[in-house]
Amino acid sequence: MISPSSSSASSSRKKKMKRAETKWRTAAQERIYRRRLLEALRATASRAGPRAVKEAADSALALTARGQSQWSRAILLGRCRPRRKLLLKAGGKVRRGRRRPRPAAPVPVAAAAPAGKKVRDRLRVLGRLVPGCRQLSAPSLLEEAADYVAALEMQVKAMRALADALSAASLNAAAAGEAESRVV
Amino acid sequence: MEPRGSSGVGSGNSGTYTPEIAKSLRFEEEIQSLIDPSFDASSAAGGSFTALLGLPANQAVELLHHPGPGEPPASAASSSPTAGDLWRLRLGEHHAATDTLRLPFGCSSTFEERAARFSVFATDDSPASSSGGGLSPGLKAEPPDSDSQPTLPAPVGKPRRPSKRKECEKSKAKAVAKKSKSAEENTSAAKPAAEENTSGDKLPYVHVRARRGQATDSHSLAERARREKINARMKLLQELVPGCSKITGTALVLDEIINHVQSLQRQVEVRHLPHHYHHSLSLNNFLSMKLAAVNPRIDFSGLDHILSAECGPLAVDSGCGGGASDPTMWASDTAASTGGIRRMPAPPQIWHLDLVHPQQSSTVWENNGAAHPHFLLSTATSLVGYDPASSVILNSNQLKTEL
Repeated sequence: MISPSSSSASSSRKKKMKRAETKWRTAAQERIYRRRLLEALRATASRAGPRAVKEAADSALALTARGQSQWSRAILLGRCRPRRKLLLKAGGKVRRGRRRPRPAAPVPVAAAAPAGKKVRDRLRVLGRLVPGCRQLSAPSLLEEAADYVAALEMQVKAMRALADALSAASLNAAAAGEAESRVV
Repeated sequence: MEPRGSSGVGSGNSGTYTPEIAKSLRFEEEIQSLIDPSFDASSAAGGSFTALLGLPANQAVELLHHPGPGEPPASAASSSPTAGDLWRLRLGEHHAATDTLRLPFGCSSTFEERAARFSVFATDDSPASSSGGGLSPGLKAEPPDSDSQPTLPAPVGKPRRPSKRKECEKSKAKAVAKKSKSAEENTSAAKPAAEENTSGDKLPYVHVRARRGQATDSHSLAERARREKINARMKLLQELVPGCSKITGTALVLDEIINHVQSLQRQVEVRHLPHHYHHSLSLNNFLSMKLAAVNPRIDFSGLDHILSAECGPLAVDSGCGGGASDPTMWASDTAASTGGIRRMPAPPQIWHLDLVHPQQSSTVWENNGAAHPHFLLSTATSLVGYDPASSVILNSNQLKTEL
């Protein structure tokens, strides 16, 4: 899955950087995610509510990410119980959830390069969108965003397929079940 | 330091090197005095190494890349045989020379060490090598060059070292940009600048060049490095988000990206709404156990799930087929499920917290003698940490009724 990264001047980083799309768009990943999604869905069958389902789906997605990305860690740890401790344990990059808004400099100095209020605002919005990436510097934020976007696309695709199949299946089940229950 | 008139950069180039070396000896001394106040300017022993530093880029490249045939020097020359010898000495015996020379760039070995330590532009402090603190600002200019050093293998032979020297030279040239550039490139003003980038392309490694007309101090170099990082990531994102490659301008691209992310998130939400309502509908209208049966059915056919949707309905029918067949089905399914469990990657240890729950509830299941709940429990709990106990218990109730 390691494909030549984008032109980054640091050659050492080339080895580390994998392209987000290739990482997420492989069929294997999608299969993994589907399985996880199914399991998660079954776990939420008890707890009705689209919100729970969505949360389960997101957690499954984050799990598929294997905690290698910032947002995945944030999602998973957000679900877990004692957030603080685990935040610190989970990964060096995950900081304590400093929720106090920092309107002054939400994006640290590293974003000084694409200077401009607009750009910085947009970056802040993006940081809010991507879970757990609020206090991130510009380059890492962009990286996380790329990963997140790729993951989201895969999630949508998988969920759409799953929803269709499940609805078809449940329709059949309903029809068959009726007949069965009548018989029994 | 015996004069080695015949040994050059791999071969006898004595004639070619001396002019540049001599010319840049001046700069080298300047550099030395800058860096090392106690530097004994008279000791030109250290000069040879940095002699190459002041070399114009193109010349250095040619010299270094074609060590065999002597490259005609581009600039006028004043020959100083000692300089050439010293240069040879540098190449030949860097190790021995280092100690005596107290050069900031030391010998190639220390340089490699230093280079190996540089991982990011301008974020590294001066390495532990002999360079003094005063050199760090100069070294900051170096990282872009030495950043590529880690990719270089340990110097295998002389041809390697010269290329490093060139790197060194270039970075030094950057560090002392004003001096070397203004003075050195007076002779061939446009050429080195033009050659700089092209010669950079010839190189096997990537390094940041200070372009002509741009500031070359460490701060702006670091700035530029960061900017390039950010731009690289932006390009990645642009490719990812459809329709962003046409847009120019960071703000607009970011706009598009934000819209895309929001739409995706919304889709995820809406995706599950109809599906879930379907769920609840079936729950309400039909026996809940049927749905519970449906779920695991679908999962176990879910292994082939990707391939076809027909598996779902088929499995559903078979699942509803009768309670008697259930235990057997479960048995076979557990085999599949255990495979599924194993497939779960070794989660980070934080998730082991969740695995505790299966232990508790497993005892409940063993009463039933059914192995399948283990699968559900373990995967469910280990999958999502939220409230595993309650969901598990509810599931167990449903399954109990089934059996």
